[in-house]
Amino acid sequence: MERGAPTVGLSPAVSAAVRSAFESDWARIVATIIRLTGDWDVAEDAAAGAFERAVITWPRDGVPRNPAAWLTTSARNLAMDRLRRRGVEAGKLKEWTTMDDARGQTPDDPAERAVGDPDWDDRLRLIFTCAHPALPLEARVALTLRTVGGLSTPEVAKAFLVSEPTMAQRIVRAKAKITNAAIPYQVPSPAALPERLDGVLAVLYLVYNEGYKATSGESLQRLDLAAEAIRLTRLLVHLLPDPEPTALLALMLLQHARTEARVDDAGDLVPLEDQDRDRWNAVEIAEGLALLEASTGGPRSAYRVQAEIQAVHARARSASETEWPVILARYDELPDSPVIELNRAIAVGMAEGPRAGLAALSRLTRSGRLEGYHLLPAAQADLSRRAGRYADAAAYYRAAAGLAPTEPERRYLERRLAAITLGGSA
Amino acid sequence: MEYLLMYTAGKDPQPYDPSDDNIAEWSADTQARGVSEYGERLRPGEDATTVKVRNGQVLVTEGPFTEAKEWVGGFDIIECDNLDEAIEIASKHPAARFSSAEVRPFMVWPDAEPGHRVVPHGFPEQPTGGKRYLMLVCVDPNGEEGGSDDVEPWVQEMDGRGVRLFGEVLRPPEDATQVMVRGGSVIVSDGPFTEAKEWIAGIDFLEVRDLEEAVEVAAAHPMARAGLMVLTPAWPFDVEDDHVERARREAPELGRRSEPALGVAS
Repeated sequence: MERGAPTVGLSPAVSAAVRSAFESDWARIVATIIRLTGDWDVAEDAAAGAFERAVITWPRDGVPRNPAAWLTTSARNLAMDRLRRRGVEAGKLKEWTTMDDARGQTPDDPAERAVGDPDWDDRLRLIFTCAHPALPLEARVALTLRTVGGLSTPEVAKAFLVSEPTMAQRIVRAKAKITNAAIPYQVPSPAALPERLDGVLAVLYLVYNEGYKATSGESLQRLDLAAEAIRLTRLLVHLLPDPEPTALLALMLLQHARTEARVDDAGDLVPLEDQDRDRWNAVEIAEGLALLEASTGGPRSAYRVQAEIQAVHARARSASETEWPVILARYDELPDSPVIELNRAIAVGMAEGPRAGLAALSRLTRSGRLEGYHLLPAAQADLSRRAGRYADAAAYYRAAAGLAPTEPERRYLERRLAAITLGGSA
Repeated sequence: MEYLLMYTAGKDPQPYDPSDDNIAEWSADTQARGVSEYGERLRPGEDATTVKVRNGQVLVTEGPFTEAKEWVGGFDIIECDNLDEAIEIASKHPAARFSSAEVRPFMVWPDAEPGHRVVPHGFPEQPTGGKRYLMLVCVDPNGEEGGSDDVEPWVQEMDGRGVRLFGEVLRPPEDATQVMVRGGSVIVSDGPFTEAKEWIAGIDFLEVRDLEEAVEVAAAHPMARAGLMVLTPAWPFDVEDDHVERARREAPELGRRSEPALGVAS
């Protein structure tokens, strides 16, 4: 899946210029035109049109000195043309154009902005509107990827394994609700900001997780979505450098650093302890650790604590040299949920021995809160194996493989099962 | 932008605590901000009456339509800038803490006169001799096909008779937003939670002699054939009242119908 404007057949230099402009300017152009005209479709079509023009004219006339300005002007002209054809009065169009000129550039340092500032970057308005809680969650995700991220509707459909018409309808409905229910195009008031920011982060993390680990289907990883989530979160941190978005970005980077090492050449899953740590992405780890370092003393949000857990893994030279007691202490800080409890039990197994971990897991099993979730028997299998209870381990691996939602996970569990059965009989 | 706030039990109803009812404060605040057009508390579900017309027969049943698990306990009509302001207003209403507020935009007609409001300016707060009912105009998938004729003659007639005080079409449930407050946090989500097949498409506020006249007015509505009508009497109260005392006084009225019993009329 390729993001953005088609660059097939262009010279490498022009192609790179178009891609780079798309990465840095798509959201800005769309966000500005939505503010001016209130029309989401016009804004998206005009932005797409501007990139199409760039692909035609840049190879002929050369890449403009200021691609962003070229694209913005081009998109704005396209939008105004379309609205003029639709019969919007000339006076109104002129008002929009001059309004934008008078507004000028937004200050460089977003940290200097007060909450509720009328000069918030348009992209932040766009991000908050796309993630508005009055929209269904799946629509928030789709709209964020389509409008902020610039993915085409077929790309978003493919990433979420739904048909194009379904995704198109989801996006159309979301836009219709924005208009019909008068969802405002604004950064929320200071009173509502914390809750609304949580909603934005939830959408970004959902996109990330969807990319990091496909919930179904053949492919374990859909790299593009995870990278897209990181890109959008990076944009959010740039616009709103609060501790929570920063912690989420750190969490994503520290997890994403392991992407290459998580899968072997056959496309099969490699568990953390067996991963070649030299293949971890040192740049992403360094950035993730630096983000955490820079925001010490902030609130202990769930994203922060999870990022700190990932940081412990990132710093360890091997699984056995991991500071499991620290990880355990971090899990104790997280709000209670069945999945947290599962991960905590695994940490208990690593910090205090497999029998302690198994005891924690059997409490979780009795609660019935994770029934049908393949990672519960997978964890029981792993700790049973470590405890030398091979028959138990085999039974758990079998159960886990039966529940595994992706092919690579199922194959991994079956390999483990095969290894244990061979080991047991030898 | 005009919104209807409908207070319903919602997903996670909490017991009503009259000592924690700050409706007077909410009322004063919305009046001062000029966002409030009109609102009423409604009598409990037992006092609702459902009216529909099938094969030319007027069918009247006690209570709200069968599938509805939750009941509209009251409403407010507000006019404000946008959905975020409507959410903020809804979240401060005591019903957001005990139950849930559905925020539903009214239909905006392209040919509406400038300054048009759902509730006319100077609308009398008190009935002028009659009894007031909220009529929910509902779409029913099991209704008669082709039954939703032009509603205009009905509006003309009922306005002329003085029984229809105001009314408007609502945007569909997809455009609704649910607002609750639990543990001090405002919880906003999309859509109404009801699993009923029927959905509320509009409202009319009536002032009539009695339930019999309300049923006649409802049955005459074209949507009585394609859908169904739910009539619920207003349950006026003084916002400044001592709500603990009021709740004690009203306790005997709960759980039983005080509206006249009605069978199948024709």
